[in-house]
Amino acid sequence: MKINKLTLLALLSVFILNSCSDDTDDLIDQVPEGDYTDGFFVLNEGGIGTVTYISDDLSNVEQDIFASANPNAADLGAYTQSIFFDDNNRAYIISNGSNLITVVDRYTFELIDVIDEGLTVPKYGVVYKGKAYVTNNNTFDDYTYDNDNPPASYDDFIAVIDLETLSVESTIETDSYTEQIEEEDGLIYVNGSSFGYGNTINVINPSSNAVVRTISTAFGVNSFDIEDGSIYTLSSNAYEVFNKDNGEQISILEFSDLSGASNLVLEDDKAYFTVNRSVYVMEQNSTTEPEKALLTYSSTSQYGAMYGFAAKDGRIYIADGGDFSSDSFVEIYSTNGSLLKNITVGLGPNGFYFN
Amino acid sequence: MKYLKNYIIISVMLLTLSVTGQERVFTALDSVYLTDSKLKEFSTGRNLISISDSLLRNNSALLTNMLNFNTPVYFKENGLGMVSSPSFRGTGASQTAVLWNGININSQFNGQLDFNTVNVGAYSEISVRGGGGSVVYGTGAIGGSVHLNTRLTYEDQQTHNLFLQYGSYNTKDARYHFKLGTDQWSLNLALSRNSSDNDYDYPNDSKNLNGQFENTALNVGLGFKINNKNSIRIFSELFDGERHFSLIRASETATKYQDLNSKNLLEWESRFGEFTSITRLAYLDEYYKYFGNLNYDSFTFGRAQTFIAKYDLSYSVTDDLTLNTVLTNTNTTGEGSSLGENDRNIFAAALLMKHQLGSDFKYELGFRKEATANYESPFLFSVGATKDFSDFFSLNVNASRNFRIPTYNDLYWSSAGNPDLHPEKSLQGQLGAVLNFNSLRLNITGYYNSVRDMIRWLPGSDGVWRPVNEDEVQIYGLESALNWFKNFKYNHQVSLNATYAYTLSENKGTGYQLIYVPFHKATASLNYNYKRLHTNLQFLYVGSVFTRSDNNSRYNLNAYSVGNFSLGYRLGKSEKIELGWRINNFLDTEYQSVENRWMPGRNYTMYLNFKL
Repeated sequence: MKINKLTLLALLSVFILNSCSDDTDDLIDQVPEGDYTDGFFVLNEGGIGTVTYISDDLSNVEQDIFASANPNAADLGAYTQSIFFDDNNRAYIISNGSNLITVVDRYTFELIDVIDEGLTVPKYGVVYKGKAYVTNNNTFDDYTYDNDNPPASYDDFIAVIDLETLSVESTIETDSYTEQIEEEDGLIYVNGSSFGYGNTINVINPSSNAVVRTISTAFGVNSFDIEDGSIYTLSSNAYEVFNKDNGEQISILEFSDLSGASNLVLEDDKAYFTVNRSVYVMEQNSTTEPEKALLTYSSTSQYGAMYGFAAKDGRIYIADGGDFSSDSFVEIYSTNGSLLKNITVGLGPNGFYFN
Repeated sequence: MKYLKNYIIISVMLLTLSVTGQERVFTALDSVYLTDSKLKEFSTGRNLISISDSLLRNNSALLTNMLNFNTPVYFKENGLGMVSSPSFRGTGASQTAVLWNGININSQFNGQLDFNTVNVGAYSEISVRGGGGSVVYGTGAIGGSVHLNTRLTYEDQQTHNLFLQYGSYNTKDARYHFKLGTDQWSLNLALSRNSSDNDYDYPNDSKNLNGQFENTALNVGLGFKINNKNSIRIFSELFDGERHFSLIRASETATKYQDLNSKNLLEWESRFGEFTSITRLAYLDEYYKYFGNLNYDSFTFGRAQTFIAKYDLSYSVTDDLTLNTVLTNTNTTGEGSSLGENDRNIFAAALLMKHQLGSDFKYELGFRKEATANYESPFLFSVGATKDFSDFFSLNVNASRNFRIPTYNDLYWSSAGNPDLHPEKSLQGQLGAVLNFNSLRLNITGYYNSVRDMIRWLPGSDGVWRPVNEDEVQIYGLESALNWFKNFKYNHQVSLNATYAYTLSENKGTGYQLIYVPFHKATASLNYNYKRLHTNLQFLYVGSVFTRSDNNSRYNLNAYSVGNFSLGYRLGKSEKIELGWRINNFLDTEYQSVENRWMPGRNYTMYLNFKL
């Protein structure tokens, strides 16, 4: 395994340097070290959440690496939702069921600390200038289950966490639900749709912690990405593009044959998304829907197909929720749609995170 | 609590009325009356475990705990006193019907009854019957049924029984029982309160946080014989409970749950010629509030009001042959934060027959069909027979088709309910042998049960959980019960009650054992009495369970054995006061019945029982 690791490090160093360039400033000086340097993580939500490590060559798989690296520590908490990284080689693992963020070294997975105050059903996070911005669903009292009758007010909030002290220093309210959160050119973008309800993307200026722009979207945006000065949003039936700087809609593609689209990822000027058990791909700025799927995988999961999805560096990653009561699997495909490998992971895999 | 106070006043008024209004009339009816008479009459080919109120006092007030230590029913419990669901003969949480004086009280919302929201102190008798019972008891009676009954005794009496118990974690349990009557009328009143801080330590140095609970239950039964042909009975229960849900770790969101339930039953029995008719009217009110975050005052709620009208006519064709029809109309109005308001009406017709052939063979038949607009209802049947081969050996056989209807949550839950669900259906058969040697009775029953269209809630990639008719399960197993007692010289009395269950419950699609169904479960209760001294030793063994549907043994919960011991001594000349002491979990077993949910270690209780 050691030899394998070294070989890999040599072979894939270029790839690693590329993939980490967003997050680290001086990679030349600090070559990351640790058992989990040359691969990616699959987050399994649980029950109690676990993380599976898979090496980039897909040959080495380790289950529940947090427990292996920290045999005496408490677990990652119930229903781990997502992971985000900072510029300091740290990974933050969010548990929405335990109101907990576990902070680990992203390359060794050794426990650094936990954030266990000031969070209520935390979902997603992003880091900007030494602070983490973490969305919280808070109570579920603000779901009316009816887009025609939105709630009078929302109780969702964004917790601003000082990464020095690892404590919540303030909160931001957006007058919307709060889900996926991204940072681009010094502004924070938050999806205001949740479980199919809501229709905004809110833009926050982190220097004032105020919402500086609200962009109206289709109802129920489930994923978005920001590239080349535009915001791309995906909801069940529509793919929209907005000007990042003024919020104006540039284009909208309303699907006619496809329904239930989710999991938008922009990669190499292409838009990848999923419908049921299929992956679709089209040009990033396409205004016509793709005629056929790039690939369709087989799943016996009643509703948990495509529970996690990623497209990165020439590969497509699919996580299958399975029956949510036994260890499930991920599948890795090349971008031409051929299966590279099916790998058993943990309970309810919901996302991929790359080192 | 205010509600409860009014309720007591009303009950007392009712009582006064009936006392002043009485006139002495001749009675030919039995002196002990149980309104759930079908339980005794139509259990041919079944084993019944009944625990009377005096034995109930050997147990915690939590119904889960009582049944766990005395019956083959397996429970998974999110910690002591927390959400508790049964698996009876390898079935799921909503496949055990719970009957209150013969009325099905499973929640209209989730089809289950949380067995930790029932206070055993409110009943005169609790019975458990394995196997299907939908023909008589309707939805959910697939794995078996649990019967909470109030007994009316028509005899000159005035008795009070006050039972007070205090134990670890500030657990307070008070039960008061009052019986009053003559051969013409009878009152049975039970008032029970149970509360606990429930902050026990976990083996991993943390403790049970936010686990406190309290509840109060009042149960009144009143019977009046108008004349030798007519009698009227009223049963009424009020339950008021609040329970916090314990946290696995301190950072979790603290929540709690409140129940306010009332159950009311009025019945009029009339005999004419060879006919007996019983007209019943029942009103059930189920109201819960769920506080999803205790930092806020807000809550979600559900309320279901059910009116039941039942006409039960039986005809004795001969002394040995009885025919019985039961017509039931059930109307439920349910509403809730995530449900909107929905009505449903179900009409059911059942035909039952019981026939004694000779002195050693009897059989019974039953059929039921329901009519409702909400779903397609299957035709149900039940057939059972008993043959006595000698004084000490008899064989039982029973087969039945049973069902469980989709609940309000299944059908109407906002954005997730599935109006196209079918009822779950179960076809089952069992064969039992009963052996009697002197004071020893052994019952062994083997059964097979095939359940189709099981309803399961699954999460989707959009994060929303939805119900589906998915699994097909086949279950077979063995259930046995042993009862033995012996009186030795010099007033030494010993009795033993034990059960053992072996359960194979497989998902038919995958062949794997269902999660949280142990292959083995055993219980034993040994009583020893000597003059004023009374001791009881309880023992529970639960085999390891799978927590993963693919039976990956890496995640199994370990088997555990738990023992309780109690010692009581009767004081005073007439031995009306008993003072006692109990050690729960005296082996200090570290165990969980649900992943990450520890149960308490060794703990102690003291009790006092006054009889007047």
